[in-house]
Amino acid sequence: MSQLLPVLLLAAFVTVFGAALMGLANLLSAKAKKNTVKGETYECGIPADTSGSTKVPIKFYLTAILFILFDIEIIFMYPWALTYGDFISSGYGIYAFSAMAVFIAVFVFGLFWEVKSKALEWE
Amino acid sequence: MGSDWFEFTVNFIKMILIFLMMVQIVPLLVWVERRGSAFIQNRLGPNRVGPLGLMQLLADAVKFLTKEEFVPARGHSMLFYLAPIAAMIPATLALAAIPLSVPIHVEAFEWLGQNWGPYVFKFQGYDFGIGIVFVLGVSSLAAYALLLAGYASNNKYALFGALRASAQTISYELAMGLSIVGVILLFGTFSFSEMVTAQAHALSFSFFGQPVEISWLPNWGIFYQPLGALILFAAMFAEANRLPFDLPEAEGELVAGYHTEYSGFKFNMFFIGEYGHMLVASALMVIFYFGGYTLYPWLTPATVSSWFADLSPTKASLFTALVLHVVLLLKIVVFLWIFIWARWTLPRFRYDQLMDLGWRKMLPWALFNTVVTAIAILVMRHQWGQ
Amino acid sequence: MIYEALGFYSLSLFILFFAYKTITVPNPVHSALYLVLTMMGLAGTFFNLGAEFIAGVQLIVYAGAVMVLFVMVLMLFDLKAELRSFSRGLLSGSLKVMASALLAGMALGAIKNSVDPAGLQPPAEISANATRQIGVLLYTQYLFAFEVLGVLLLVVAVGVVAVSRMKGGTHAKH
Repeated sequence: MSQLLPVLLLAAFVTVFGAALMGLANLLSAKAKKNTVKGETYECGIPADTSGSTKVPIKFYLTAILFILFDIEIIFMYPWALTYGDFISSGYGIYAFSAMAVFIAVFVFGLFWEVKSKALEWE
Repeated sequence: MGSDWFEFTVNFIKMILIFLMMVQIVPLLVWVERRGSAFIQNRLGPNRVGPLGLMQLLADAVKFLTKEEFVPARGHSMLFYLAPIAAMIPATLALAAIPLSVPIHVEAFEWLGQNWGPYVFKFQGYDFGIGIVFVLGVSSLAAYALLLAGYASNNKYALFGALRASAQTISYELAMGLSIVGVILLFGTFSFSEMVTAQAHALSFSFFGQPVEISWLPNWGIFYQPLGALILFAAMFAEANRLPFDLPEAEGELVAGYHTEYSGFKFNMFFIGEYGHMLVASALMVIFYFGGYTLYPWLTPATVSSWFADLSPTKASLFTALVLHVVLLLKIVVFLWIFIWARWTLPRFRYDQLMDLGWRKMLPWALFNTVVTAIAILVMRHQWGQ
Repeated sequence: MIYEALGFYSLSLFILFFAYKTITVPNPVHSALYLVLTMMGLAGTFFNLGAEFIAGVQLIVYAGAVMVLFVMVLMLFDLKAELRSFSRGLLSGSLKVMASALLAGMALGAIKNSVDPAGLQPPAEISANATRQIGVLLYTQYLFAFEVLGVLLLVVAVGVVAVSRMKGGTHAKH
């Protein structure tokens, strides 16, 4: 806990700081009368049309899912990068390199396939 | 966090000072940005309020506080207030994990009739063994502030701005994470202070098992990782949503992106978050590739502490830390200026060019950098024929 | 020791509270945001137990990547029809009962199989080199699993692209 405590304290402090500043701004700020038109959803000035669902290109979801997959692959390189020097100094450098080379080959194949399939192309 | 109240209080104040440093750098950078852009574009910039227009910062702060606090009627007001705070937290937590100088050693002393110490105060909020992983993990939470702001505003421009912003942030996070693998391979550690220590002496490496030393050059990461440094710095621009990567707030198409509905101090908090990311990015660049708070051969912890050899150990340690802190700050300022300079020099990307650059150019190049680094380290350090 | 216990129990309360909120709030976006807080609490617990690297991974992968996707999807789809069809009806009711039974069974099994912590000695050096130990184990003893994982991720990536190409479904053009 002693290690985690400063992080929590700092996060709490920033929250309190932000809330206090917003409260101060609320006190000092210019007050406007209630205005239903002003509070409307902003849509370039014409009467707002917020009915119906928003259509979003599937590319965004595709990007997010591919990001998760590649992110996991990259995270797996971190412990390897950390211990690579130890492997080399104990004489197993070639082993450690080839272990990761196979993994990276699969990674490169995946990336190449994604590029080839035009999944990462935006128009 | 501390074995007694003195240590606890000092550590707490230290963290708050780091946070306030991040907050107060915003008006200064805004001033530099406005005057700098004016200089680049052959204009004058704000020069009326106070000497060199410096009092403009105070005028801005007053204006931020007195602006009408607007909350969209159909939005989610709770989340609307939460988003600016969420924008400040990741940058603050990341900055506090970065060492800004050498630790200060305080000898045992007597105060208020009690014996205190000895203490070691690290020149950072907290020091974890997993420094880099912590900073990456905390920075990956930055996407929520954008998503929350876009969603809580209940407006299509804001929502699409938030969507674009988060898609961009996550895409460039890959290139960023992968270019850091090269740094970890090079230094063999996750800890920032160990990386800085490794860079505080002459350039030395083993060449096919033979040690080579070049005494007039420092052992900086940039000499081993030039490509990685370039990719990391470019990805940092995208992470901080700075031009040429400021698509989320492309005025022509999206009004102002995710902060369309924000005004006054809430808007300012998004600014604090953005400049905080710039500060963290500059600090990481300096620590990974440019020797951190040391400048071999003149300013290393050993040489600086020898200047203060005739002072008491506590004072000597304190002054050493302060001198080295100034070294780090000067290096950071150089990178902050590059951030501002690039904004007024480069045109903005189109969205498809942006995603193309992130996924199809920077990611493969970062992967190439990792593989080449691994091969080079293996060839250079392996004991061949033994 | 007392502080450790205090930290553990307050973190557990944090996790339980937000997990409870996750399944009880009606708005799916709020629910996902509570789940983000739960994930952060889990990262904190890992950290507290000395598994610093796992805590970082929890933060990067779950809180930073998976939940960003969830929040993005929930914010942008209008899920009213799906919500209505899922929140009532015999089929979804029986599915819910089955899911609860499964969860209860898993929890009971976990309790039954867990070791009494009082009888365990904490390893001498846990956090200092835990990440290095993970690295060495992962690339020696569990090398095969590690390589297979790479292939698995590749298969998922291919599948994702294939699914995104499919025509039809609720949002198809008519």
